[in-house]
Amino acid sequence: MSPIYLEAAVVVLGVFLLALEMFVVQGEKKILAWLGIAGLGIVLAASFFVDQTAPTGAVPSYHAFYSTDSLAMFFKRFALVTTIIVLVMSVDYLGVVRKFTPGATAHGGLGEFLALPVLTCAGLMWMASAVDFVMIFVSLELVTISFYVLVSYTRRNAASLEAGVKYLILGALSTGFFVYGITWVFGLTGQTNLEQVSAVFAAYQGSTAPLLFAFVLLVIALGFKIAAVPFQIWVPDVYQGAPTPVAAFLSVGSKAAGFVVFIRVLRTFFHATAIAHKIDLLLVAVAACTLVYGNLAALPQNNLKRLLAYSSIAHAGYLLIAVASSADPASGGAIAFYLAAYLPMTLLSFLVMIVVANYSAGDDIADFNGLSKRSPFLAFAMLIAMVSLAGLPFTAGFFGKFLVFTVAIAQHQTLLVILGIITVACGFYYYLRVVKAMYFEPDTTPSGQPGGQIPVGLLTRVTIAVLIAAILVLGIYPKPALGLLGSAAPQEAAGVLRSVSPQVVLR
Amino acid sequence: MVTLNDYLFVSGLLFAIGFAGVMLRRNILIIFMCLELMLNAANLSLVAFSRFNLTPERTPNYNAQVLVFFIITVAAAEVAVGLAIIVALYRAKQTVQVNDINKLQF
Amino acid sequence: MVHEVVNQVMGVSEGLLPFLLLVPLVAAVFVLFGAPARPVSVGAAALNLGLALCQCVTYEKPFSYTLFDVVPSLDLKFLVGLDGLSLMMVLLTTLVTLGAVWMTSKVESGENAFYASLLFISAGAMGAFISFDLFFFYAFHELALIPTFLLIGIWGHGDNRVAAAWKITIYLAVGSIVLLVGLIGLYGSLPVGQRTFDLVKLRELATTTSLIAPSAQRWIFPLLLAGFGILISLFPFHTWAPEAYAAAPTPAAMLHSGVLKKFGLYGLLRVAVPLLPAGMQAWTNVLLVLLIGNILFVGYVAVAQKRLDLLLGYSSVMHMGYIFLGIASLNIIGLTGASVMMFAHGLSIAVLFAVAGEVRARTGTMRLDELGGLAQPMPYLALIFGLAMFASIGLPGFANFASELMVFFGAFGAGSGAFGYEAAVAGKFNLYQIATVCGLWGVVVSAIYMLRAYRRVFLGPLRSTSADVAAAGHPVTDDLSGNRRWALALLMAGLVVVGFRPGLLVNALQPVLLRTLPANVSATTMLPASGVPAHPQAAVVAVVPPRG
Repeated sequence: MSPIYLEAAVVVLGVFLLALEMFVVQGEKKILAWLGIAGLGIVLAASFFVDQTAPTGAVPSYHAFYSTDSLAMFFKRFALVTTIIVLVMSVDYLGVVRKFTPGATAHGGLGEFLALPVLTCAGLMWMASAVDFVMIFVSLELVTISFYVLVSYTRRNAASLEAGVKYLILGALSTGFFVYGITWVFGLTGQTNLEQVSAVFAAYQGSTAPLLFAFVLLVIALGFKIAAVPFQIWVPDVYQGAPTPVAAFLSVGSKAAGFVVFIRVLRTFFHATAIAHKIDLLLVAVAACTLVYGNLAALPQNNLKRLLAYSSIAHAGYLLIAVASSADPASGGAIAFYLAAYLPMTLLSFLVMIVVANYSAGDDIADFNGLSKRSPFLAFAMLIAMVSLAGLPFTAGFFGKFLVFTVAIAQHQTLLVILGIITVACGFYYYLRVVKAMYFEPDTTPSGQPGGQIPVGLLTRVTIAVLIAAILVLGIYPKPALGLLGSAAPQEAAGVLRSVSPQVVLR
Repeated sequence: MVTLNDYLFVSGLLFAIGFAGVMLRRNILIIFMCLELMLNAANLSLVAFSRFNLTPERTPNYNAQVLVFFIITVAAAEVAVGLAIIVALYRAKQTVQVNDINKLQF
Repeated sequence: MVHEVVNQVMGVSEGLLPFLLLVPLVAAVFVLFGAPARPVSVGAAALNLGLALCQCVTYEKPFSYTLFDVVPSLDLKFLVGLDGLSLMMVLLTTLVTLGAVWMTSKVESGENAFYASLLFISAGAMGAFISFDLFFFYAFHELALIPTFLLIGIWGHGDNRVAAAWKITIYLAVGSIVLLVGLIGLYGSLPVGQRTFDLVKLRELATTTSLIAPSAQRWIFPLLLAGFGILISLFPFHTWAPEAYAAAPTPAAMLHSGVLKKFGLYGLLRVAVPLLPAGMQAWTNVLLVLLIGNILFVGYVAVAQKRLDLLLGYSSVMHMGYIFLGIASLNIIGLTGASVMMFAHGLSIAVLFAVAGEVRARTGTMRLDELGGLAQPMPYLALIFGLAMFASIGLPGFANFASELMVFFGAFGAGSGAFGYEAAVAGKFNLYQIATVCGLWGVVVSAIYMLRAYRRVFLGPLRSTSADVAAAGHPVTDDLSGNRRWALALLMAGLVVVGFRPGLLVNALQPVLLRTLPANVSATTMLPASGVPAHPQAAVVAVVPPRG
């Protein structure tokens, strides 16, 4: 079975959920989420049994657009896991959606909120496989446009609408840059397939100016997706305004897919040796700005969603350190592992935030005051998430940072390492502020339940436990995960970036 | 004789006008139109590249023209969703000026 | 026959090594999930002390083995092992942990979390001391960071506790990240193909060849020195320590000052000195100046303190200076002295903090001018405090004395070129000798503030104490109750035993420390078994021509 059927299955699942909502399910909408979770789980399981070998033959086939390498498979699974957890969050969040969506009664108007993430997931999976600019563009837009809807879904909430408009304008702007960049790449090479573009770039003798122009346009566009400074301006507002599960989805799924496209495009441009040096400089500059901005701006935040938005920028910065050190063969593994570590810790913090916000009607850090007394379980989960985001040992986040710093030091990225030290220290401060609120502050919720326990549903409880376990296992014994990646993503992602010499491609 | 450079110049001009509009104008609808202008700039240069950079068989490279159709389709989808959001915003706030969208601030 | 039995016992005890780490860890998790906190914690700590003593009895030569692989491509694995130095640290950790858990008085809320945090700190320290792998050595130390933060912030004393918790956490986090970069830099500077996190392999490689280029050593060493230095409270980075110890609940202060702070010193001895000899030599002068700051500046600051807890905090910072002096002297006597002092200081400061905590619980104040005459109602605490104080000043009969003496002899004879003594006789003091003289004066300073504190707290007329404490039902007349006396007696016993028989530690330490020294420096004279050189000449360290 070819991996193509995975995306097809996900699309069918999404449409099926919509149809089901329209024609069949009259009662509780949660059943749609459970069906979605079960369906995606089956697809995830199936992804381990697909045949990854691409058919060989002279006839150009779908595989000119669609790669089935292990990098692609890794990020497909990544997207599936992310979407499953986002659906779990959505179940807890349905009450809020109901409140802020006109026409959504207890039994209506919620189906799209559960079906759209599934369709977005298909887009993310295609992005992971896309090796042709046409394919990249279409799958990217599938994701982006779905997100326009999702971000502004709770349209009685002014913040959500505002976030939707901001994301719409800036997302469309980045689309404009992206297609214009593709145009120039096409003009220079006459190709849209990344491999053929690489071959032409490797033999490129002409002026470097159009090459750089095209590269800069593409970096701007992808910088929007991965939230790299200076293209991050939308991130805090959109995260704060969007429904929380959507913010989590944006922060993990969209960013990871952005990174896989970024890596693939970057690999293409590294074949143009004439501008490789300038690309390096540009990457270092972007990484440095992202690190400094994300971490410094996070320091004074009082809203947890905004804090997590800046933290998402900051983590993009650490990932960019590894990207900027891409001459090291281990950098691909570092990126993949960092993203794999980023998934559980970010989703865990968003999940806990949703549960807590349901009972304190707010997502400021102050709403977490005294959480350790109201719900020791949630407080402990948040503690693990924050500690992992800050990067303390025996958590996934530490191992990710460790691998990133290892490649950066091996590549003598002195500036980035120094900035990394400073910003990690900042990170300790703002993540531990949440811990401080949970453990040191007295319980002062304004809502009606001071000191009341926060009930946690069974599905949520299990998901939280699984995420905690994932963070600890990745941090203490990452060998199986690394092995999984090692046979899969890193080698290729490593090859991704530089080890393929232009000569080899030319022949 | 109109050359490739002329097309590229016009397309660059369109792109620049669109970008300047996005940056400078304050009305969301106009910003949205400027965004469409940027996409069309890309379309124009894609078609021009396709017409002028012939393949070894002396035919235009149709990949680019296919991409143009995709861009048009995607732009239409984007407009559909985008206008819906803008209408919802107008209903909620009775304004389409970006200056009035200031609930979320840094 | 007998040999086989011995071998079998040895094998079993080697296999028991990971349990030193597992016991507190598992106990902490159980306590966290609701097991009866105090019995389980005290039991685990006692069991761990038993395991440590079992290791001491069966220990013959260093050993290490791999528990599991982590990243094979980086040669990163969880390697546990034991040698003389880590054996001493393990013993210290288990002793102080038992003391701290035992001395814990009633915790008002969240008792389980409190004990679990203590056990996590202990497990972190234990993990760092038995890991023979750079990565885990580093990682385990960090395990203690969050429990410390929570202990100080939630159960600490005074209004200042949250600020103090922030300060210690941010300081230690910055120190750790600097250290991490230094360690990764060290790893990255190894020749390709020999890159490993395995400390045993690294040390073997380092004794035969110059493993890391001297130019690289010169930038890695300051990173390690700054990183470890922040963790140890080296002079300009020391301000977190007194505040944090003053605000921390007593058991946390005991564990942190007694055990955790020794991690940095252990790291210097384990990593920086053996692997970066050229870096060490290049930065010795800086280190000497800083440690003079530790001894004199911080010593005088301690004299000026008006609160007992801050005074003890500064005194613990000050004594780090002596240990640095021993390490900086880079000869076998100095290193041995420094190591023994790590042990001695760990026990004595833990006892001092424990007594101070008891005093606080009974009187509700730590201000020296509000205390007085407490020896009358609490003779046992006064006796223990007096003994620990004399130990801390360095009176004969306690481990501190033996170690201080070795440090001074080591440092005075250290330095490049000819023997220090001849140069000194000729009137040319080098920086080592200046530092040694400062250190000797520091002993006088520490005697001043310690004796003054003792007089203020325990002697003189009995002062009335604040009313709220009396209302809280702590009559000032109580002495330490029955079974908790044994906790302090246990720690004091450790000090006295090593004080009279320093050879117990010295004999185990010397083979390790000899291999720690740079290859071209070797001791011509071993110490006599007592560990205290009979005559200064015995302490002379010769520079012999490089081998081979």
